[in-house]
Amino acid sequence: MTQIAMPQPDPLILAKRERIIAGLQERVPAQWVITEEDERRPYETDALTAYRRLPLAVVLPGSTEEVAAILSFLSRERVKIIPRGAGTSLSGGALPQEDAVVVGVGRLNKVLDVDFANRTARVQSGITNLAVTTHISPDGFFYAPDPSSQLACTIAGNIAMNSGGAHCLKYGVTTNNILGVRMVLLDGTIVDFGGETFDQPGYDWLSLIIGSEGQFGIVTEATLRILRAAEGARPCLLGFDKVEDAGACVAAIIASGIIPVAIEYMDQTAIRICEDFAHAGYPLDVAAMLIVEVEGADAEIDVLLTHIEKVAREHGARIVKVSKSEAESAAIWKGRKSAFGATGRIADYLCMDGTIPTGQLPYVLNRIGEIVAHHRLRVANVFHAGDGNLHPLILFNANDDDELERAEQAGNEILELCVEVGGCLTGEHGVGIEKRDLMEKQFTSVDLDQQIRVKLLFDPDWLLNPAKVFPLNLHPLPLGRAA
Amino acid sequence: MSVSSLAPQNSLEVASIVRDAAARRQAIEIIGGGSKRALGRPTDAAITVDVSGLSGVTLYEPAELVVSARAGTPLQHVTDLLAQQGQMLPFEPADYRPLLASTGEPTIGGMVATNLSGPRRLHVGACRDAIIGCKFVNGRGEEIVSGGRVMKNVTGYDIGRAMAGAYGTLGVLTEITFKVLPRAHATLTLVYEGLSCDRAVALMSAAVASPFEVTAAAHIAEGNHARTCLRLEGFDASITYRAGRLIEDLAEYGQPQRLDTAPSQVLWREIGEARSIIGPADHVVWRLQLPPSRSAALVNSLRAMMDVSVLYDWAGGLVWLSHAAGDDMTAVRTAAKAGGGHATLIRAGEALRRRVAPFEPQATAVEKLARGLKQAFDPAGILNPGRMYAGI
Amino acid sequence: MQTSFSLAQLADSDTRESEKILRTCVHCGFCTATCPTYLLLGDELDSPRGRIYLIKDMLENGKKATVEVARHVDRCLSCLSCMSTCPSGVHYMHLVDHARKHIEETLPRPFADRLMRAVLATVLPRPELFRLSLFAARLARVTSPLLAALPFQWAKRTVAMLALAPDTVPMRSPYSEPVTIVPEGPPQGRVAMLRGCAQGVLAPEINEAAVRLLTRHGIEVVFAEGEGCCGALVHHMGKQEASHDQARRNIDAWISEMDGQGLDAILITASGCGTTVKDYGFMFRDDNAYAQKAARVAAITRDVSEYVLTLDVQPPTMPSRLVVAYHSACSMQHGQQIKTTAQGLLRKAGFVVKEVPEGHICCGSAGVYNILQPEIAGRLRERKAANIAKVTPSVVATGNIGCMTQLAGAVGVPVLHTVELLDWASGGPLPRKLMKNALLAQHG
Repeated sequence: MTQIAMPQPDPLILAKRERIIAGLQERVPAQWVITEEDERRPYETDALTAYRRLPLAVVLPGSTEEVAAILSFLSRERVKIIPRGAGTSLSGGALPQEDAVVVGVGRLNKVLDVDFANRTARVQSGITNLAVTTHISPDGFFYAPDPSSQLACTIAGNIAMNSGGAHCLKYGVTTNNILGVRMVLLDGTIVDFGGETFDQPGYDWLSLIIGSEGQFGIVTEATLRILRAAEGARPCLLGFDKVEDAGACVAAIIASGIIPVAIEYMDQTAIRICEDFAHAGYPLDVAAMLIVEVEGADAEIDVLLTHIEKVAREHGARIVKVSKSEAESAAIWKGRKSAFGATGRIADYLCMDGTIPTGQLPYVLNRIGEIVAHHRLRVANVFHAGDGNLHPLILFNANDDDELERAEQAGNEILELCVEVGGCLTGEHGVGIEKRDLMEKQFTSVDLDQQIRVKLLFDPDWLLNPAKVFPLNLHPLPLGRAA
Repeated sequence: MSVSSLAPQNSLEVASIVRDAAARRQAIEIIGGGSKRALGRPTDAAITVDVSGLSGVTLYEPAELVVSARAGTPLQHVTDLLAQQGQMLPFEPADYRPLLASTGEPTIGGMVATNLSGPRRLHVGACRDAIIGCKFVNGRGEEIVSGGRVMKNVTGYDIGRAMAGAYGTLGVLTEITFKVLPRAHATLTLVYEGLSCDRAVALMSAAVASPFEVTAAAHIAEGNHARTCLRLEGFDASITYRAGRLIEDLAEYGQPQRLDTAPSQVLWREIGEARSIIGPADHVVWRLQLPPSRSAALVNSLRAMMDVSVLYDWAGGLVWLSHAAGDDMTAVRTAAKAGGGHATLIRAGEALRRRVAPFEPQATAVEKLARGLKQAFDPAGILNPGRMYAGI
Repeated sequence: MQTSFSLAQLADSDTRESEKILRTCVHCGFCTATCPTYLLLGDELDSPRGRIYLIKDMLENGKKATVEVARHVDRCLSCLSCMSTCPSGVHYMHLVDHARKHIEETLPRPFADRLMRAVLATVLPRPELFRLSLFAARLARVTSPLLAALPFQWAKRTVAMLALAPDTVPMRSPYSEPVTIVPEGPPQGRVAMLRGCAQGVLAPEINEAAVRLLTRHGIEVVFAEGEGCCGALVHHMGKQEASHDQARRNIDAWISEMDGQGLDAILITASGCGTTVKDYGFMFRDDNAYAQKAARVAAITRDVSEYVLTLDVQPPTMPSRLVVAYHSACSMQHGQQIKTTAQGLLRKAGFVVKEVPEGHICCGSAGVYNILQPEIAGRLRERKAANIAKVTPSVVATGNIGCMTQLAGAVGVPVLHTVELLDWASGGPLPRKLMKNALLAQHG
């Protein structure tokens, strides 16, 4: 199995399992406390199935108050807590431990209030990302962050990981689109951070909470900034015979003064996989393809696309294909957004998530090819090119332990490469369990200690989503590194 | 107590100063150009640390939309550099010198520490939204790196972004990296005249809820010469089309005048600087952030109580308000809170700022956490102590 | 996803198929979002991904089914919405079928549960028995208030079952016997139509309309000798032996027609049955005697709408601007991946067709699900009715008898089969359900 170490379960906690379960059943109706081994099993992993740990129990609260009662009880009993949204994390963010209770927010899936006049929507955190937009789109509005898993992933998980998506080149990521959250602290206190208005007084708690990977508390409600959709949007496909040309074209488009709403990159392997699923009309005979989308009125879109086509042709684009209908646009995006899952048709994969300065794209793409070939594996590249957020999918066979090990090794090398060229380990999936042990490649222990001190403010005993984000040797703060 | 003044030239020197001060438990006041020194609560410090020596742009990649600058770099220097490449800091940082009657050169560090954003905040976010990386010295005198130079980065907690608006109480900023945007090719402002506040807010709300990408909306309510302004930016053809559609959809508010690029730039700079409500020196100035739909009613209720000058920005989400210092100092804050928002006292004499909390008081649970956060960054409590709230 | 099956386990054909299916799943979780039971319950165990994991664990470890596993698999509607959503191409249908069989074989269910399942499995596929039981149900309905007060699941199920029985039992259809109907002119084609079981009793007008529509367009229709229930009902209860027996009978009947006078297609007017008949090839893949025949049958099986689309349908004789909400049955849109055919035909026939919001979510009918899981089925029916109401239709059209029965009392407007409207528009009689309707005055 994998090289990542997990802490030994605490025998004292395992010994009082019955008592913990009884305590949970006193606080939420028994049908929402999952205890049988058969039924706990599906909760042992998320979308990163290389890591699995059977939780002590799973509880599915139905209200903020129930979450508060659960956290207050579990923290008193010193039981570890694994917050879970829809379990779509690609970094193992929802991986349980044997001595931990999974607290899922899947039942908290309602829209509470939409205020179009003030452009906000208040939702329960277990609602899926796409369900928010579906709810407000009849009125012409949308919620901007759109991770590829937006169909299934929850706002709670988006907040935990500060999720991005294809369209954040223009609209920003989760932290740029949340006005307030209601969070339950470990001791059961319910606290509202932010509110309905911009720039709340005092410290910027939202900056800290969004992206804290479930280690500060459990968010049960959020006030989202919603935006009015443009009159129209149109993607176009640019096909290149050289990978380097596609990379250079991205920089050229941006340098020319246009910020498309999205610039997505796919290499030939990814194009073929996705075309097979989505029938989007992707060109199959190119080395790389960009999906570039612009928004506005028709006339405006025409102007922008003409300009983009000119830049693309100058940079070696052989194929320029503009979507001709809503259905075609939908298929183009369906293919892109299903890229990870569709890859499952041909192989298992590890999905990387490093970000690099876009100027380094050609170099990094070449190096990725070399690294993967060195480990005798294949790779499909599909990513958000506009902001340099790479998603190389390292293809392997999960039933072959040696291949898994080589895939992990190749993945680590790719992430180190990202840091080396001035980028980072993770652009939107989060550190989770997967990149925990690489954190010291990007940060000094002094940097990490400062982050840990913030964590300890909320969770001094490392009960919330433990064994993630920070290398195990850094927690708890050892002697001499007193908080 | 005599105040000693230090002027470090690099982050190592900053770290060393802070370490010494922490060991002696001596409070530090951090100063850049000093242009916003009169913002917030007065700080009683034994040492002032002038970071204007930490100056210079350290990285600028126009094709990657990224710029890094040391904290003491003059803001003007950065904006000029970006302008040469047709780019800008998206959130339109405003110059507060006219408002605060201050001097000194506004710096990048001061801009981030106060997280004050101009009219485009509505459309593209605040200063904090443009920060992608940050270096600072914490209260232990350690140099800390957070974020980086790439657009998307969730590696570790986003503590760098939390430096924005912390008024230097969590760390001494040394270098900040921002996402930048291309400047618009052209700007057009539609100016509607003579609308009441209620009508103006309704107009602005409709405009920003339209699909026509209004990048700023403000209402200057000066006596009988009220002007309501909507800004459109982009390519000429696009602006012309969007303006046409907007005017048509908003016909019930009358026919607007049009200001093209150059006068538009002047107008929106003045709006960002709240020029229209500066008033006499003995008037206090408030900055209220409110749900737009409630802002006009709130202002009307205040008008019934006192004589106020008002400027609505962000389609009514931001209300600038000034009144005589002798008036009831609780009225504005009470009203803002009742309206679901909050009020910051931006300009007032030092004595008044000691008596009336400039920043909205926080809920008990949040205040407790704030003390803890201060402790996590600055255990000795020496960085700009009390600048935001007493005790932190 | 990683799997761990022994070579011995993989020697079993069903296990081998399931292993292949499990290997394609990447556990991305997309399927959870479009699963009706996950939407209602919010528990991963009641989502496709959760069930896949439960099934994987059970099969890999060769475990007998537990009550818990059965509970979550039983709650699955087999609507196959997950298969439309899945980017990885996981064949959930075959996996859950395997699990149901495994549960049926390894879990002794409580007596009341077994009895209920046995009754359904015996009565529904047999039209004469079913007909009688409908009369009985009308009488038995007086006991409903009494039963509803009981705290037992069997009582709730019985109430649900009695509620589904129609107020009047239709006359026996001329097509309940083997018969061939020839068009007036020279035949342009020849098709077999599934007589089926429950539909023929509950709504004989569907096949009657289909026959009129087809013969009007020159198609000869045969109801083959010996054919009956397609096997889907018992198949979904994990009763493989019974379902295969029923399927074999149909295969024999149709092969004899194919090899005799020949068939261009086998038409199904209930999409629930169509999904199963189209899967005959897979069901008999290991059966030396039937594999080939089953594959031949499956290959020419079509939903009636698919076949009508290939005909040059006459323009509407009597254009109606009736607003039709088209409810796509799960077996139609997910099981058979037929997404727009019926809507297109209805529009061409002059109707104003509205798509129902959240149209990918099941109405709760799902074969006998609405009897076995009355609570979830009821909530789904309400949700569907509310979504249908949003488009304020005059009539609801669908292509599956199960949905028609489920929605009949819930939507407040008549629920018709697509072919009834198509038949009417191209010269057939006004559908019975529209006769009493006031909209006649407006639209007639």
